[in-house]
Amino acid sequence: MPRLADPRFAPDCEIRFDGRRVPARAGESVASALVAAGLVLVARSAKYHRPRGPFCLAGSCGSCQVRVDGLPNLPACATPCRDGLRVETQNTLGRAGWDLLAAIDRLAPHGIDHHHLVTWNRWANRVAVAASRRLAGLGRLGDRAPPPWPPAAEERFEALVAGAGPAGLGAALALARAGRRVLVAERGPRAGGRLRCRLDLPGDPPPSWIDEAAAAVRAAGGEVATGAAVLGLWRDGGSPLAGVAAQGAQPRLRLIRAPAVVVACGAHAEPPVFEGNDLPGIFGARGLLAALAEDGVLPGERVAVLGPEPEAEAAAARLRQAGAGAVRVPGPVRRARGRRRVAGLDLEGGARIACDAVAVAGRGLPAAELARQAGGSLEVDATGGFRLRTGPAGEAAPGVWAAGEAAGPCTAREAAEAGRRAGEAAARV
Amino acid sequence: MSKAILCACEDVTREEVRRAFALGHRDLESVKRYTGFGTGPCQGKACLGLVARELVGLGATPAEAAPFTVRPPTAPTPLAALASADPASLPPGPGVPPEPSPSAAPRPSLPLPARARVVVVGGGIMGLGLAWQLARRGEADVVVLERSYLNAGASGRNGGGVRAQWSTPTMIRLARRSLELCGRFASEMGINVWFRRGGYLFLAPDARQAARLERAAAVQARCGLRTRVVAPREARDIVPQLDASRFVAASWNPDDGVVFPWPFLWGYAARAAALGARVLTFTRVVGLEARGRRIAAVVTDRGRIAADVVVNACGAWSREVAALAGVALPNRPVRHEILVTEPLKPWLDPLVSVLGTGLYFSQSLRGEMVGGIGDPEEPEGLATGSTLRFLARFARALAAVAPVAAGLKVVRQWAGSYDVTPDNNPILGAAGYDNFLQLSGFVGHGFMMAPAVTELMADWMGGGKPDEIFERFTLARFAGGGAVREDFIIG
Repeated sequence: MPRLADPRFAPDCEIRFDGRRVPARAGESVASALVAAGLVLVARSAKYHRPRGPFCLAGSCGSCQVRVDGLPNLPACATPCRDGLRVETQNTLGRAGWDLLAAIDRLAPHGIDHHHLVTWNRWANRVAVAASRRLAGLGRLGDRAPPPWPPAAEERFEALVAGAGPAGLGAALALARAGRRVLVAERGPRAGGRLRCRLDLPGDPPPSWIDEAAAAVRAAGGEVATGAAVLGLWRDGGSPLAGVAAQGAQPRLRLIRAPAVVVACGAHAEPPVFEGNDLPGIFGARGLLAALAEDGVLPGERVAVLGPEPEAEAAAARLRQAGAGAVRVPGPVRRARGRRRVAGLDLEGGARIACDAVAVAGRGLPAAELARQAGGSLEVDATGGFRLRTGPAGEAAPGVWAAGEAAGPCTAREAAEAGRRAGEAAARV
Repeated sequence: MSKAILCACEDVTREEVRRAFALGHRDLESVKRYTGFGTGPCQGKACLGLVARELVGLGATPAEAAPFTVRPPTAPTPLAALASADPASLPPGPGVPPEPSPSAAPRPSLPLPARARVVVVGGGIMGLGLAWQLARRGEADVVVLERSYLNAGASGRNGGGVRAQWSTPTMIRLARRSLELCGRFASEMGINVWFRRGGYLFLAPDARQAARLERAAAVQARCGLRTRVVAPREARDIVPQLDASRFVAASWNPDDGVVFPWPFLWGYAARAAALGARVLTFTRVVGLEARGRRIAAVVTDRGRIAADVVVNACGAWSREVAALAGVALPNRPVRHEILVTEPLKPWLDPLVSVLGTGLYFSQSLRGEMVGGIGDPEEPEGLATGSTLRFLARFARALAAVAPVAAGLKVVRQWAGSYDVTPDNNPILGAAGYDNFLQLSGFVGHGFMMAPAVTELMADWMGGGKPDEIFERFTLARFAGGGAVREDFIIG
């Protein structure tokens, strides 16, 4: 039962994965369609040719890169499906499932020390360098020159909010209520951020709040753009200048000049650390639950759920409610078992859990890149956790505020509240 | 499946991070460079926190586990997208991120000695190459002072091109010697530098630039190089992705190449240290104590070192350091921006450069395209921030000569400082004081010259017959009007 039988989630098109027909829903991510078809091994890793599949399902981590319609290195989780889309695995000698170069992984159980590989003889070194060049790189160069993008014109807004999760919408709502014309740029296909997972934790803003916030932004003359990643916060011309890649039938670059910027990009899913932690079938819980809520995708029949409360238990409950077996992992994991897909977890102490998928809940790395480009600094605490240094309203740099998980771990309710404070401060610019 | 992967893009294991830490790469910037973690398409989004926690667990201080500098763009971005921005509407500026305010620094590699016979200021390829060359000649009482981690300066920020296609016999001779030493570096120094002779292809967009190529090729032929001036059609045989209508001639030398810069510094430092030299990281020079016609000591933020000889090998910071002793150098720092793309299977053999615009691009051994472009409007200064202007200028220039390459996605941009002199030639030898030696002014090409120049410098410091460069490239030449301008500066 890889996809819920609900008619709302019925496939309506077909993509091809290495020549194989895969039913899909137009607009869902390629990764969603592949996971729903039970295909989790979609790539091979750069050096050891280890099996790889989607992890974050949110366009962050880079472990599901595939060739799409002749263009290399595209994340399957951030590439929308349409009928006839041609998806191919890369960097294999053979196929993704049977890559002869996976022998490198077995021959080098402790890794390859590339700095000292074949340095004992000049001529042997030359051969090693030539061989390494052939093995390096992921995809092949694209089949064709890209069509030119339309000229990018500078647009002015009174504020830019990067991210449309609880923090970003909280900030946008406060700015809109203060009459500010704001652009909310969300890189994902929908607004909502972690609310898209439908964990419905106590205190979470209700789904209707997402639409209310978006309506308020529009009523104040602003815009909520989805599929719009903020690529950078440069300072060309002396004030913050954001480059926004707007996806769509005709992709275009938007150059946004705004005196106030709120960084509310959430957090990047972090893989757990144990042997075999990169096996296909191990997913960030948030990406997985969003795919379940929006496209009815189930990752497997028995999902082991890792991570802290209350998110892990809520994730397990959602999976069970959808009909999957979900087990909480009671202790630290020593290693993941499985060859081409996770088959179980061995715990410290000897216990074993059989599973065909793993969902990793919990905090991630603050997605504070834009705030840091503006001069904000991420600080590391005694446990190696990161938090952005901010003032009381989230000031990270002159004219730049950060709110929600982009600044540090917090609940959705706290994120919305931090967003409101940042938005109110930004409205005073 | 016994590996625990911390960086999935570059397949960096927990064991590799532990090995790097044990080798002395304790701060996150150094671990990033030594292991390659965080340099793949995700730019550290999934791995930065994992590696930081691992380092803290191994005993790193918070300053050592602090995140590496954030570089735009935040997601892989096609050059075609960046080409849609008009550089004319983006004036030059200091770029992002701003220079961080001084905070707690990682721990220095070694204690500060009270004295040394030779103190080299600057732990770039010049300083470290010189330290090794001196040590192997028996002069092991050498201390190298680096204010940051190894590879923090221009030596760790350049594109790794090494070419013999220069316009004067002197530079051609030095570059050829460097190429020869690059070819032996891995086996001699025991560390890979991924030297690959893919050639250099210079494109001339018009007749004037073509004439310049012809002149240089004639000098190179007299010096025994295999350089040939070829027609656009033949250039396309070498790089099929080129649009042959965009240039009128090209000069091709198959013996030029590219290297991976970082291991040069680790290799020189490790071999020099094995012979007794001391390389001190995170040690900043704040003063130079003069006594009569000599520099008596170097003052650092950690204390003072008495020295018999002081070498200024600070690249773009050389003028600032010389000024500490009241010596005025004519060097000017000028920022030069650069970028790297997603990794692809081999498609581009040579380094391609376009005369006039200063565009250059090559493919690294990891499969990424590395490239930059000069900016005539770039002001003087030590800024190393990144601009959208650069991305737009590079993307437009690249799309014009190699349209298919506009589909490549940029994963990271950064900048370094060229150390520019009035005649584009270096400044070598004593300046101001008898024992204050200059080794600077290489105008963006110090990396490729360093293996040869440091060898000659060590010979000369050891009392050998001075090479002509120590008579020609003195500071005094500017006063005497004897400067002859080098014409083949790229970027």
